[in-house]
Formats: sequence, C-alpha cells, structure tokens
Amino acid sequence: MSYRVSNNIRVLLSALGFVGAIALPPWVPLLVMAMLSLRFAAWEVIAIGFLVDMIWFSPAGGIVASLPIFTLLGLMLAWGLEPLRSEFLTR
Amino acid sequence: MSSYLRNERVKARRRLLIATLVVLLALVFDLASGGMVRGAARVAASAVWSAGSAASGAIFGSGFFSSKRGLEAKIEALQQELTAQQALTGRLEVLERENTQLRAMVNFAKQQRGVAAPIVSSSNSSPYGTFLIGAGTLEGVAEGSIVLAGSEKGFVIGSVAEAGEHISLVREVFAPGALVEGLAGGAVLSLEGRGGGNARTEVPSALALSSGEPVTSTAFAGRVIGIVGSVSSDPGSALARVFVRVPVSLSELQFVYVVPRLE
Repeated sequence: MSYRVSNNIRVLLSALGFVGAIALPPWVPLLVMAMLSLRFAAWEVIAIGFLVDMIWFSPAGGIVASLPIFTLLGLMLAWGLEPLRSEFLTR
Repeated sequence: MSSYLRNERVKARRRLLIATLVVLLALVFDLASGGMVRGAARVAASAVWSAGSAASGAIFGSGFFSSKRGLEAKIEALQQELTAQQALTGRLEVLERENTQLRAMVNFAKQQRGVAAPIVSSSNSSPYGTFLIGAGTLEGVAEGSIVLAGSEKGFVIGSVAEAGEHISLVREVFAPGALVEGLAGGAVLSLEGRGGGNARTEVPSALALSSGEPVTSTAFAGRVIGIVGSVSSDPGSALARVFVRVPVSLSELQFVYVVPRLE
C-alpha cells in the first residue's frame, strides 16, 4: 500500500473517530481506535479516547464510570500494539 | 530495515510519546481544576452536535434527495410537489413532537419548580450512559438535580452528574453498571443498569410482578423511574429475571425538565 493511500486511510479513520466520539455510538470510536492502532503508531488513538472521556466521563460515576476507560484503552492500544506493529509492518 | 523506515518509526514513536504526555498532563490539570477541560470539551461538543443536527435537518427536511429521485424518474412537477408536501409534513411532525414535549414541560412547571432544558448532545454516544443538557448553574441546575421526561408527572430519566455554567452532564438512572433500588408490586428490586434506558434484576419467582407495572425509587423521592418490561423464569427455578425500562425513548427526546433533588 502506497504511503499516500495509507495516509488517506489514516486521516479518514481519524475523522470518523473524532466525529464518532461526539455523535455516534461508543463502539464506533472504539473500533476506529483498534483499527488505527493495528496499522499505525497513531497519536490520534490516544486523542480520540481522551476526547470521548472529556465529553462523557464524570469521575463521580458508578462502578463502570469511575475510570476514564477510553483514555486508558487508547494508551493501551497505542503502546500495547507497538511491538506487533514493529514486528509485522516495518520489517 | 532501511534508514527511512527507521526514521519514520522513531518519529511516530516520538509523536506517540508527546501525545501520551499531553493527555496525561491534561487529565491531571482537569482533575486539579475541577473539570475545566471537560467543561470546554462539552461546550465544543454540544456546539458541533447542534450544528450537525441543524444541518442534517435542513438537508433531509428540504426533500432535496427525494426531488433528485423524482427528476431522474421524469415526473418532475408532481414529484416535487409531493416532496414539498412530504417535507412540510415532516417539519410539522417535528414541530408537533416538540410541541407535545413542551406541553409536558408546562405541566411539570405547574406541579413543581424546575428548569426546562434542551438535550444538546447525542443520547447514545456515551459509553458511560450520560448526555448533555443546555442548562447549567446559571439557570439553576445543580449537581444531583433530578431530570424528568414524559407526560403528566413524568419519569425520572437521570440526575445531573456535573453542572457547568450553561451545559450540564446528566447520568441516566439506568447507566451501564449503575445500581439503583426500586419498588414494584410491594417488593424492593435491586436494579442493575444496562444502558439505553434498560435495567435488570432477579426476584423470587413467587413474586407476582407483571409487565407494565411502574417502578418507583426512594432515591428519587418516590418518583417513577421505569416500568417492568418483561418477567421471565426457567421452569423449576426459584428466581425470575425482571427487565425494567424507561417508558420514553431517550433518542427521541428533545427537552427534559430538571427539578432540585429534595423536591
């Protein structure tokens, strides 16, 4: 895949993720974050997760809502999949 | 590995590291400042949502796409007239729905002091069972205020989790993982929220609960928080599964009524 096509995909996915954080069901930004982090070392993954939490999260929430789950997921996906990306995508 | 790829990898990692540090700093600042970053993000998100909502309403409400189909089918005049009528009907339906909800707000206002507020975000985008309303501390909304919708006395759909100046975050009663005690048919139900206005619990099979029965909660001053949707049990099981739902569709709501917690 050429750099240009690859970059376009990244931009489109990122845009979908940011819009999804505001107006689409939560599985959309989650799926976008997973797809982006599988292919790219994308800072957008962290930003999308952070945006979801800044809009919808309240620290005084119940059991599920007491942690900024999307920010943590973003960090885990971005850094956790780094060895996988290094192994399969750049060698 | 070529030096170009190696350089790209190093750059990408550096950007990732910077993003991580920025996000962590922003999180710390947000918590230390009592939610300043969250407040700003919500104002921006509600502006984007309102703009998007108005634009999509204008595009789809205008009948533009229907007219195009009509032209392609070469029945221009009649098709356009029909489209215009349909668009008008659609707009009238929207206005009628809005009017019905505002009439309910007027009824609420007669019964109790409170604030009518528009919903300024998507109601199904939050992973935490939350949504935004366009009223805040300057309009008299405070943390813990109860959010009502529906007709007559209304149903509790949530409570204010965070109040900004003009925008507040509402957590649904049945947000995912939320635990709330309800009363139905003389029995106490420990309801576990499932999101989307749904909750479930288990009760002894001998308990006579039927669908449609209202569920109230002392946590919300005895107001109705939902109705029993269905009751099911396996043969021979001592427990029955009870599903409770909010009787209004959150995605169709445009306005809510916010009352102080203690009323």
